Amino acid sequence: MEDNIGADDGSIKEQDRLLPIANVGRIMKQILPPNAKVSKEAKEMMQECVSEFIGFVTSEASEKCRKERRKTVNGDDMCWAMEALGFDNYAGPLRRYLHRYRDFEGDKANQDKAMNNSSVSKGVEQSLS
Amino acid sequence: MRKAGLYSRISSSSSGRSGSQQHSLPLARIKKIMKKSGDGVKMISGEAPIVFSRAIELFIEELTRKSWVLAAEGKRRTLQRDDVVSAIHGTDVFDFLVDLVCVSDQQNKRRESPVESETETVGSKRPKVGP
Repeated sequence: MEDNIGADDGSIKEQDRLLPIANVGRIMKQILPPNAKVSKEAKEMMQECVSEFIGFVTSEASEKCRKERRKTVNGDDMCWAMEALGFDNYAGPLRRYLHRYRDFEGDKANQDKAMNNSSVSKGVEQSLS
Repeated sequence: MRKAGLYSRISSSSSGRSGSQQHSLPLARIKKIMKKSGDGVKMISGEAPIVFSRAIELFIEELTRKSWVLAAEGKRRTLQRDDVVSAIHGTDVFDFLVDLVCVSDQQNKRRESPVESETETVGSKRPKVGP
């Protein structure tokens, strides 16, 4: 839900470059004790930091792709960039996450293919009957 | 949304955490911010924003944790902007955020006291030279 309804074009573009404050605030609160509170300014600061982090890592990954003459930045490039920029403790979990995602997508693609084959044959049978 | 369900299955199996740790960051917004990071960013694979959404969680968690230590030292239960700023200054890997913090501080100072001189720097008080 956008909270900038009726705002001028400037602030709408401003919101586009930040992740939603509700999402950011929720992640912050999840790591804190139950009685902790987070000021609005702290959440706004975190929004800015996250966007800066995204740009920082993406630039590094993009530069790697450029040097290797590749056009598309992929998940491996993101992991490499984070390691290169000092976020070593993120790289391991992210690589595992990425491999699981790829396995999951691979399994899902196989399942979809199998389902499509059976549904296509059923569809053909129904249209013929 | 399919992607949200996908995240929860991957995250709960990878880290062993409970299913309540859902990934709820908007992929399209992440991709938009990535594309704005420079002219060289042309094409982004579908998996990149998904990896990034997890990385952003780790980033927020780390910075929040470090900020909270400072708030707790001040015997406060509310995390303030200055705690985040101090955590940034106190952590080497967050050096890339130092310029952002300086700009943000200057903007805040202008908002608080618009009549003050533009040349006044953060943290210093120089005597004003009269006419």
